[in-house]
Amino acid sequence: MGIILTTSTVVPLVVFIALLALGGYILARRRAMTSTGGDSRRLHSLPSYYGYNAVMSVTVPALLALGIWLLVQPMFVQSSVMEMIPAQAVPEGSSVNLVMRDVRRLAEGLDNAVQAGVMTSAEATDLTATDGLRMWLAEQGVAIGGDINPEILAAAQAYREMNLTGHVARNLVVVLLALAGVLLALRESHAEFRARNRVELGIKALLILAASLAILTTLGIVLSMLFETINFFRLHPWTDFFFGSSWAPNFRGDSDLSILPLLWGTLYISLIALLVAVPIGLFAAIYLSEYAGPKVRATAKPLLEILAGIPTIVYGLFALLTVGPFLVQVFGRGEAGFLGVDWMSGATSVLTAGLVMGIMLIPFVSSLSDDIINAVPQSLRDGSFGLGATQSETIRQVVLPAALPGIVGAVLLAASRAIGETMIVVLGAGAIARVSANPLEAMTTITTRIVSQLTGDSDFASPETLVAFALGLTLFVLTLGLNVLALYIVRKYREQYE
Amino acid sequence: MKDTQTLEHNVTRHPVKIAARDVQVYYGDSQAIQDVNIDINDKTVTAFIGPSGCGKSTFLRCINRMNDTIDVARVTGDIRIDGEDIYDKRVDPVQLRAKVGMVFQKPNPFPKSIYDNVAYGPRIHGLARNKSDLDDIVERALRRGAIWDEVKDRLHAAGTGLSGGQQQRLCIARAVATEPEVLLMDEPCSALDPIATAQVEELIDELRQNYSVVIVTHSMQQAARVSQKTAFFHLGNLVEFGDTDDIFTRPQDPRTESYITGRIG
Repeated sequence: MGIILTTSTVVPLVVFIALLALGGYILARRRAMTSTGGDSRRLHSLPSYYGYNAVMSVTVPALLALGIWLLVQPMFVQSSVMEMIPAQAVPEGSSVNLVMRDVRRLAEGLDNAVQAGVMTSAEATDLTATDGLRMWLAEQGVAIGGDINPEILAAAQAYREMNLTGHVARNLVVVLLALAGVLLALRESHAEFRARNRVELGIKALLILAASLAILTTLGIVLSMLFETINFFRLHPWTDFFFGSSWAPNFRGDSDLSILPLLWGTLYISLIALLVAVPIGLFAAIYLSEYAGPKVRATAKPLLEILAGIPTIVYGLFALLTVGPFLVQVFGRGEAGFLGVDWMSGATSVLTAGLVMGIMLIPFVSSLSDDIINAVPQSLRDGSFGLGATQSETIRQVVLPAALPGIVGAVLLAASRAIGETMIVVLGAGAIARVSANPLEAMTTITTRIVSQLTGDSDFASPETLVAFALGLTLFVLTLGLNVLALYIVRKYREQYE
Repeated sequence: MKDTQTLEHNVTRHPVKIAARDVQVYYGDSQAIQDVNIDINDKTVTAFIGPSGCGKSTFLRCINRMNDTIDVARVTGDIRIDGEDIYDKRVDPVQLRAKVGMVFQKPNPFPKSIYDNVAYGPRIHGLARNKSDLDDIVERALRRGAIWDEVKDRLHAAGTGLSGGQQQRLCIARAVATEPEVLLMDEPCSALDPIATAQVEELIDELRQNYSVVIVTHSMQQAARVSQKTAFFHLGNLVEFGDTDDIFTRPQDPRTESYITGRIG
């Protein structure tokens, strides 16, 4: 029991809750059975439901309290200790955050020393700053960046004290909640108690929690991007970002950071990808749903969908090593090439990335279109055949017009994937930001620039790094808009036939 | 609704339009209809009645080779329209279906305008020389479909926006626009309310002036009201075929009698 109350890690606490839940299960079940004299038919619910109810009332409040405490305590301790550090204790050119880092390490060092038995807990609390302290701590395996001055030591001691008290309080609250839970559940476990309904409620709450976590995460992502974007626009004029004409980041502080050349590259590559994917995907879908026999369909459809399972980095390699050099062979190399022209110099180009991305999107377009074409009622086809139309006339004039809204939705979804695609363009499109109509030139996209701005040494206070968030948010808004539009169109179409 | 008595049950014999001999239809391994022999007259309404699954719709779909669109269906025997074997290799099923129009159980207007729905067949088969010719064909078909007055002011509105009865009459107009010689109707009123049913039945009676009409129906009252000849199908067999009045008043086969009196169904 002692270790459970003083432990700073949560493992013994969780083990304790789990054991208590197990015990609660057995006891509540037995108690419910005894209340009817061993006749389970006279219970409101099956005996196991009383057990599950006990498990729920032990674990849910205790784990909830533990989770909240784990989130709140560090924030609370950090802000209280930060107030203790006087302004003069912060050296020139440093920040209070860096000082706090030392405070935390010193507190950790003291903890380690106490745990190793070098000093007692009371000694750690009463320690005063001496010249030998830093050396002595280094011998214990704790390296401190600067000199240990009395303010930092006092802060570290306070930090350690508050954490110790916090842990004890936390453990006490969690253990009491768990015990209260088991007692309450045991008191409730009698024949009339509707344990089954309570468990049903618990399951519903669990499912709601899962659904809202997904939504809250999206919200969190958007908000974090939004704050960083606001930071970026504090450092960099928004007019340059949205209306400027060039993308030339440098770390001297006078970068041109305009989204327009990147947006052009993104849209150009996506357009080529769609020009490849939409006809091929749509024709494949028409063949599979209207012409192919059941045997062909059963083999061809999964084969086509294998394409969708290939990781995009593999497509990127395909672009870089196969498609790019092939295009250079065709459009470049002067007399040595197929066409005898010298229009293309490097393997990376808009066309390379667009073609490969188009191949990636084929299964996406075809499987969505296939579903939509299959949803067109057979009665329309019968009506057309009954008037003496051939199969292709029927498809062209009746099936496709009926499926058109859904197909448009599928194309928009494919477009939003193309815009957000990263790995193929990182490897296949090149890294030069420019606005040009020549598809054989290398260009770059929003996603590639986000990758390159954030890889390597990044200082999250410069506009050159923060621009990644503005780019990401723009991308998010763009694809979100396309998805909403696509879903709206698809849904409107679905209403027509169901 | 029209009273049965006011419909003239014309017993004068028109020439045979459709002649079927020993027709068998298989769906995969199971036989759907067997040994059907029937002569269907021109300018007559012939009703096919019988319990569900008896093969009446299957046989109807043989007459314009709609069963060709079902992979597993196989038809043997001999069906002739005006003496020509429609299952002959030289016959193009697509051309045949222009000559043998079909109206389906559920109204199935295309998601196009009313005008384009009716103009669909004539356009495919190149029946109109120019725009005004096509306009005439569409108007004539809509008049024959007894729906012209209701839609003449909104020919370019969507066909799917009409009421159920109007949609079915539009589908009939669409079928007659290609100038067929035979009109097949597969339970054309089963999705309609009584008023729309009465309108369509009246229309079927008028269509008899120009076409040989074959109608599959579940309603014996409907068969009695609109048809001159009735065929009773049971378990894939054509049990009895004769003048409608005779079938409903003096059935020869005990199975027919059981069915029309409601004992098997």
